[in-house]
Parts: sequence; C-alpha cells; structure tokens
Amino acid sequence: MTMTPTSQTVVLDPKSNVPGVRAPGFPDTLRAEWIKFWTVRSTFWSTAMLFVLGAGLTALVCALAAKDIASGAAGESAGSFVTWGMMIAQITAIVLGTLVATSEYGTGMIRATLSATPRRGAVLAAKALVISSTLFVVGTVTAFAGYFAGNWFLSREGVGLALSDDGVLRALFGSGLYMAGLGLFAAALGLLLRHTAAALSAVLALVFVVGNMAWLLPGTWGEWIAKAMPGNAGSGVATPVSFNPNLLGPWTGFAVFAGEVAVLLLVALVAFRRRDA
Amino acid sequence: MITAQGLTKTYGQKTAVDGITFTVEPGRVTGFLGPNGAGKSTTMRMILGLDRPSAGSVTVNGHRYADSPAPLREVGALLEARALHPGRSARDHLRWLAVSNRIPAARVDEVLDLVGLDAVAGQRVGKFSLGMGQRLGIAVALLGDPPVVVLDEPVNGLDPEGIRWVRTLARQLAAEGRTVFVSSHLMSEMALTADHLVVIGRGTVLADCSMSEFIADHAASYVRVQSPQRGEVADLLRRQGLDVDVHDEELRVQGLDAAAIGELVGTSGLLLHELTLVRSSLEDAFMTLTADSVEYSAHEMAPTSAGIAR
Repeated sequence: MTMTPTSQTVVLDPKSNVPGVRAPGFPDTLRAEWIKFWTVRSTFWSTAMLFVLGAGLTALVCALAAKDIASGAAGESAGSFVTWGMMIAQITAIVLGTLVATSEYGTGMIRATLSATPRRGAVLAAKALVISSTLFVVGTVTAFAGYFAGNWFLSREGVGLALSDDGVLRALFGSGLYMAGLGLFAAALGLLLRHTAAALSAVLALVFVVGNMAWLLPGTWGEWIAKAMPGNAGSGVATPVSFNPNLLGPWTGFAVFAGEVAVLLLVALVAFRRRDA
Repeated sequence: MITAQGLTKTYGQKTAVDGITFTVEPGRVTGFLGPNGAGKSTTMRMILGLDRPSAGSVTVNGHRYADSPAPLREVGALLEARALHPGRSARDHLRWLAVSNRIPAARVDEVLDLVGLDAVAGQRVGKFSLGMGQRLGIAVALLGDPPVVVLDEPVNGLDPEGIRWVRTLARQLAAEGRTVFVSSHLMSEMALTADHLVVIGRGTVLADCSMSEFIADHAASYVRVQSPQRGEVADLLRRQGLDVDVHDEELRVQGLDAAAIGELVGTSGLLLHELTLVRSSLEDAFMTLTADSVEYSAHEMAPTSAGIAR
C-alpha cells in the first residue's frame, strides 16, 4: 500500500471555502438524494415492476374484458378498466416509498446521511421530492401506456374512450398523483417505524385490508371513515369511473388523501428531528 | 479542535456518558481509549450531532457540528457501524457524499486511490471484506480534506499492513496540523499512534494526559534485585534514600537505574544474583486503570473435575 500525500489545505474554513467551491445548499442535498436513490438496484426494479404491472395488467384485463364490456355482461363501465393495472402497481409505489426511508436505518446509512447533511428537515424534504417526482412521472407514463394499450382492445369492440372523454386525462395524470401520494405516505410511515417489514405491512394493511374492511362499519360515521381511508380517498382520482360508487368525488377524495399524507409527513418530521440517528 | 463540556448521555435509567469534559487539540493524535461499552461510540455520535446530548455540549471548531455550513469539509468521520448501503458501489457512495457537500468530483477518485480501493471502486460494497469496508470508511472521512478527523475503531478488521497504514496516516494527518481523534479499545495500538490520551470507563474520564505522562504515571517500573544477602542489600539501598519493597525472595527498588544500583551494591562488597529492570506494560496499566469500569468481564473457566479426555 503506497500512500500519496494528502493535500496541504488544513485550515480549511468552510465559510470562506476552497477556491471555486461554495457552501452547499438544498439543491445539493436534493442532488445527493437523487444519486442515492438511483444507485441502488431496488429503485430500477421497483419502477420497472410498476410499469410492467400498471401498463401490462391494464392491457391484459382490457383485452380479456372488452367483449363483456361491449355486450354489457361485465356490468361495469369501460372507464373502470383503462387504468385497472394501477390498482396492482400501487404496491410497488408503496415498496419504493418505504425503502427510501427504511433502507437507511436497516444499513446504518442514516448516520452517513445526517453527518453529510445535519439539517434533517432538508433531508426529509429532499427525499420527499425525489420519491414523489419519480413516482408522479413513472405513474403517469405507466397510466398513459396502459391506456393506449388497453384502449386499443376496447376500441376494437367499439367501447374505447377518447383522451378528451370525461375524466380520462384526469385519471391518467391522477394515477401519477396517487402513486406519488402513496410513495410519500409509505416514506413517512417508514421514517416513523424505521423498519422495512413493519412499515411495509402497516401501509399495505392500511391501504388494502383496513380500507376494504372499513366499508363494513355500520352507520353514517362508518361510511365516512371508509371514505376517508387513504386508499379509498386517494384512488378515485386515478380512474375515469370507479368500480366503487361510494367513493368521494375524485378531487375531493384526493384532497382528503393529500391532507392525510401531509399530516403523516409532519409527524414523521417531528420524530425525525427529535430522535437519535 | 473538539471541545466537550460536561457531555452526558442517558438512555432511560442507564447513563452511557456521564458528564465528560475534554479537549482534542490540533496537530497531534489524541487517542480515545476505553473498554467496550465505555461510551466511546456514543461520544463520537454526539460529536457528529447524530445523538442529542442529555446534558452538556460538544463543539467542533467552536460551534456545534450541525451548524457547520459544509460539515464534511470541516470534520471527516469514520463511524464504527458501517454506514453503507450494501447494494451501492464504493464510488457511488463517495459520489453522493461529495455532491451533498459540494466537494469536487475529482476528489472521489483521489481518496479511492489514497485508500487503495481504486481497483474495486465499481463493486457493490456488500461484497467488501471488513477491511475493505474500513478503508472505504476512511476514504469517506478524508473526502472533504477536513481539518478535523474522527476515527472510531479504525483498525477493526484490518490486516497488520492495514493497521500500520492507518497508524502512519493518523500521524501524518496530525503532522499536517489537523485535529485527529482516534478511538480504540486496544492500548497497545494507541501506544504506537497517539500523542495524547483520553481514557474513559463507564462514561467518565479516567485520564486525560500526554502519552508519556500516562506511561510515567501508570506503567510503573522497578529494578528487581536478588541477593543471598538480601537484608544487608535492602538496608544499604534504603540508606541511599531509595524505595525498597521486599517481595518473597526479591527486592523491588525504585529511584535509581539498574546500573547505578549494581555499582552501589558492588562497591559495598555484597553479592548480587539478579539485577533486572522490570517495566509493567501499558496494557497492564490500562487494565488496572479500567478494571473497575469494565462492563462485560469474562471469568476464567473453572476446570471440570473430569477434565478433558486425552
């Protein structure tokens, strides 16, 4: 092992800085989080899975159901099918969101992260931006791809939907928004629980199991709880016509979901700033 | 410069660090020594602002770590737990760290070369051996060319050549005028690396002094004298104002070196059978000092009556 001499800048004052190097700010934290996000394999595989499931299953289900939709035997509107795969793809969004937070704790990476950027609010904001922007773009692209593929089968049977039809464009961009929201929801819970399996089970249970069970609650209050469950409130925006007629309106529901995500992020931020790393 | 003032960390009922005060000066290697569980890592995490002190404070260059505008360019740290994602390559790990603190990208390859990982920079760190992980940790610490370097157990998992390399590196960094703070539970390692020592046990500072003072104070030496005329020799030496202890067959003499004692005894016409300088090792001194503060101590196995079948 040969040692090359280290440079001579010893009394390096980070305020005055090395020539040409300025003090880091939020854009640098954001870039660092972006690099971290894309330099682990799970990110590529999760986003690829999101696309395959989201677009692929939409196309498959539309192909299989087109005849029944056209004949009326399906008993559902074609609008319920053009984003069908996103219902399954949301699992990968949840996985990705959870891992963004919990992988740091599982590996001890969090210590490196916070020693590089001690401003914890900035770290959380950067993570939130990275996960939500990625999921919004990938979710929207996937929804469009699924729509174009699935709608081809529907159009063959004469029940296709135009992009200009009511709720179609809203649902395609809404799919991206819902994926982004789910990712943030999972990341916030991941930051609170700091354990991959625990956080993943909690989010999946809350969105899929508890969300569906809640419809069994009696009375008006039970109905409102069911409507407000994150998966139920947020998913309406992601489909032109929902299978479930009891959901809140698409934007009303999404506003409720966004509020829930915001509250959870805030709780996560408070805990993140207080706790030892 | 690192300054701790009454630094305390409690976890529920358990006090990990109990009001410690010390200063780590630039231009020398300060060893942070203590048995496992003494509070070394907790202290280092508090220096880096990762753990919040329960009381007291610790500052780096006069301010809290978290208040540094570019912490990696001010303090470089190797943390005991490998703070790495196993799926990321060594270069990517350094790359995001560099970006986060606006460290020029060229520095990444510089430090990879410096620690000897340039050939495996593209490999995922999950495949690294303990020693390679340790080298990457040191690369992280040096990335920002920081004036303050904090290394928690840097020689863990390194081979003898790696250990010597870390030792040379620490000494070189100090010679360049940097503040170097190195923790270890191995006295023998510290003896070769550190100029100054902060010894802790059970969360309190047991010693804060230069290495030579520590040796003088804790590693006592004496001259062992054996003679058939033990009583007369003892009297003679005591008359010279020397400190003489009688242990079984031998005399333990302090206050004069072996040669001078030999001449003294010889000119008096007394017989000598042995004249030896005995120095207790630093390891012994450290053990003695921290004996009461070892949290997890092993006990010798009692021999079983049956013994082992041979």
